[in-house]
This record gives sequence, C-alpha cells and structure tokens, in this order.
Amino acid sequence: MSLNTPPKQRAMVIGFIILGILFTVFFGMRAFHSYKKFNGHRPPPPGKVETDVELIRDWMTISFISETYRVPERIFYDALQIPPLGNHDKSLKDLNREYYPDTDGFVLETAKTTILAHQPPSPTDGSAATTIPPPTALPPVTP
Amino acid sequence: MSDFFLTQVINFGTPLIGLILLLGALGLPVGASVVVIAAGAFSQQGVLDWPSAILIGLVGAVLGDMLSYSIGHYAKSWTDKRFGNSPTWINASRSFHKSAGLAIYFTRWLITAMAVPTNLIAGGSGYKFSHFLLYDVTGELTWILLYGGLGYWFGSQWELVYDFISNFGRLILGLVIFGFGIKQALNWQEKKKHTANLATDEK
Repeated sequence: MSLNTPPKQRAMVIGFIILGILFTVFFGMRAFHSYKKFNGHRPPPPGKVETDVELIRDWMTISFISETYRVPERIFYDALQIPPLGNHDKSLKDLNREYYPDTDGFVLETAKTTILAHQPPSPTDGSAATTIPPPTALPPVTP
Repeated sequence: MSDFFLTQVINFGTPLIGLILLLGALGLPVGASVVVIAAGAFSQQGVLDWPSAILIGLVGAVLGDMLSYSIGHYAKSWTDKRFGNSPTWINASRSFHKSAGLAIYFTRWLITAMAVPTNLIAGGSGYKFSHFLLYDVTGELTWILLYGGLGYWFGSQWELVYDFISNFGRLILGLVIFGFGIKQALNWQEKKKHTANLATDEK
C-alpha cells in the first residue's frame, strides 16, 4: 500500500483486512465445530417416528409435538392440567408464561416426560425405546 | 424473533413463509434462513406441503428483493446528485456492473448478509431490472431448494444444518472482506508503480 494514499482510505483498507481475518478465523472455527457435530448425525429413516425428546424446543406447540412424537394431544393437556380450548396454537413458552409463570421451563420438561411415558413402542425392537423418568410434582396452576 | 415466527409457521403454514421471506428480503431481522431450513423439515414431517412452500416462499423473497431494488432505484436521483461526480462512486458503480450478476446470485444464498445492500446498489446504480430479476430468481431458488432441501433431508435435526450453514456463510463473508481489502491494497501498489514509471519516463 502506497504511503501517499490518503490516511483515511489506508485506515479503511487495513480495517477491512483485519476485520476479514477476524471474521474468517472466528467463523471458520465455529463452522468447523458445527461441521463435526453435523457430520456425526445421519438423517432419520423416512417414516420413522421421532423419539429424541431433546429436540423439543419451547417455540413448538402441543399439536406439533403430538404430531411429531405420535402422542395424543389430550395426554399433554392432562399432564399439564390445562384446558385444550384456546391453547392449541400457543407455544410451550407462552403456555409456561400463562399457566406456570413461577416455574421456568416447566411446560417443556413436562412435555418431554409425557412423551417418554406415553410413546408407542418402536416397531423394530418391540419395546419402549426409553425409560420412564420419575413423576414430577405439578406446581399449582396460576391462570 | 425467529422463535416467534417458527411457531406461527406451524400454525399458519405456507402463506406465512411467503410473508417472512418478503420481510427478510427487505432487511428485517426475521431469521429467514432459519425459517427456510425449518420449512424443509416441517415438510418432511407432513406439517407443510412442500411444492406450495417453495412457490410461495420464492414469490415472497423475490417480491421483497424487487421492493429493495426499487428503494435503491428511486433513491438514484439523490445519489446521483450527492455522489454523481465522485470518481470513487463512478468506479464503484462500474466495478459493480462488471460482476453484478455473480454478486446478486451469490448474495441470495451464500453471503445472505450482503443481499439487501446489493439490491440497493443494483437499483441505485441503474443496473438493468430484467437482468437483476433473472439472477435474483435463480439465486433465491437455489437458496430455497438448497436450504429447504437440507432441512427436508435432516428432518427434526435441522438445527444442526442451520448452525453449520450460518457459520459457513459468515466465514465466506470474512473471506470476501479480506479479499476486498487485499485487492484495494494491491490496486494502490499498482497505481504507485505506474506513477513512479511515468515520472521516470518524463525525466
């Protein structure tokens, strides 16, 4: 870079080079780590019912989870002690905020526990895929 | 923000995908790439109908790009008045026009962070609309088919795909910024040599 280049432009170009290096190193490392994680997973076979409850997120709705894990919706509402009416399209996070504001993540955890307890047995091994965790005491409902 | 939109995609289906991609193409932080990958996974799970998701998503994304191109286009008179005589602006417009097709195509799906600025520059520098539309539709279709296809393929594990793709996109952006800086430095070096040669010839 020439010394008679305007100092403002010189600083800008040096800034671009440094920023480029920082971005490349930082996101290069992150991309490498996510590739390693990504590479270790294989897509589930077509038509297979999902069994991994760790994939449940709090933006999901009960009807979506019910469809994905093939567990009837009614069982979730019973476990959460909330009415199905008006809660069909609410996310787990919204349900938690509305019914259990004092217990963070309660609805999410209850949904996971309910699936593990009610999931239909896998057709391949003829037995329930996972063990049923001990029941959790429900906190009082605060509508 | 994208969590809210993911819940709404489950509830309202494909029309909402079109709206989200339109808002994303206007530069709003709605997590459009997350939604495209998730939509692929939802299609695999039977929550969405994939042909209509592709079609409506493509229409939404292209409409949003056309709108941001228009913003650049209508700001052209202002930019011409403000920068029209600046050699830097003239050079920048000229070099953009030289590789505009590639820039438009790759910013749709590989370096998505640069998509809105590219639309604005394309509109503001008078890049032909029909050419813009051609590269835009091709790029958006690549984005939807590639990201959505990976989401479809990986189903409920689509978050892993998103994690990798978003980091990889930023890595490419870093390389582009670095390459731009190096190119500028080399240009100046070249210019300096040229000036020095001219001075020797004059002597």
